[in-house]
Amino acid sequence: VTVPGLPEVIALAILGLAAGFLAGLLGVGGGILMVPGMVLLIGADQHVAQGTSLVVIIPAAISGTLAHYGARRFSPRDAVALAAGGIAGAVIGSLTALALDAEVLRRIFATFLLLSAIRLAWPIMRHRASLDARPEEPKTPADPRG
Amino acid sequence: MSDRRGAFSLPGPTNVVPLVLIGVMAGVLSGLLGVGGGIVMVPAMAMLAGIGQQRAQATSLAAIVPIAIVGALVFGGAARIDLVAAALLIAGSLAGVRVGTAVMHRLSDARLTLIFATFMAGVAVLMLLT
Repeated sequence: VTVPGLPEVIALAILGLAAGFLAGLLGVGGGILMVPGMVLLIGADQHVAQGTSLVVIIPAAISGTLAHYGARRFSPRDAVALAAGGIAGAVIGSLTALALDAEVLRRIFATFLLLSAIRLAWPIMRHRASLDARPEEPKTPADPRG
Repeated sequence: MSDRRGAFSLPGPTNVVPLVLIGVMAGVLSGLLGVGGGIVMVPAMAMLAGIGQQRAQATSLAAIVPIAIVGALVFGGAARIDLVAAALLIAGSLAGVRVGTAVMHRLSDARLTLIFATFMAGVAVLMLLT
């Protein structure tokens, strides 16, 4: 762990602010913004940027989960099933990442970023008339609670 | 929004198998790329498990907690974490998430999502070219 200089401190705080803002606003944008931000703004190694991003995601996800749990917006049973598979996947994924060359990993990440951008924009572009509505309205019937 | 009686009797018990498989997919992506994995989990839950958008977002966030912890432990074990940077990012993001949540209902999500998607595409191209 190196002590960052003032420019790095400011860049990281602003990056965190932007990532948190997008996460609160759109429900995405935490890691997707932080990883390239660390790589491009402070020249972090791709692996370190990804590992650090995972650490930052934890408190944000915990606080969001507590809020949703309080408002009973999800079934804990569903979350446990998802997490059971997710933990196994996370071990496979992170060990694979560590085994990959940083340059290769960076390109895989960039490709994922591009695909994510298309996936976010696609439903909106298809329904341009609804530009002023919320994006990605569920195609399934509305949640009966709401 | 809050205090819905009996909301844990949310629409029907969901099939466990598709959820576990979606979890594996999201976990691999999260560990491989250092992201939460919600971008895969939320649409997959809608398509494969018939879970609506809001409930899917909440469920995916809950699953991200253990997924990110496991990934962080593996990266930490390989000394690929910058704790000082993490602390700064956490401080910034905790403030940012409040602002984002507060203005969520006042802004058009669709326009913002388009701006964000365009920005992401630009960053992706930059990362591919440099």
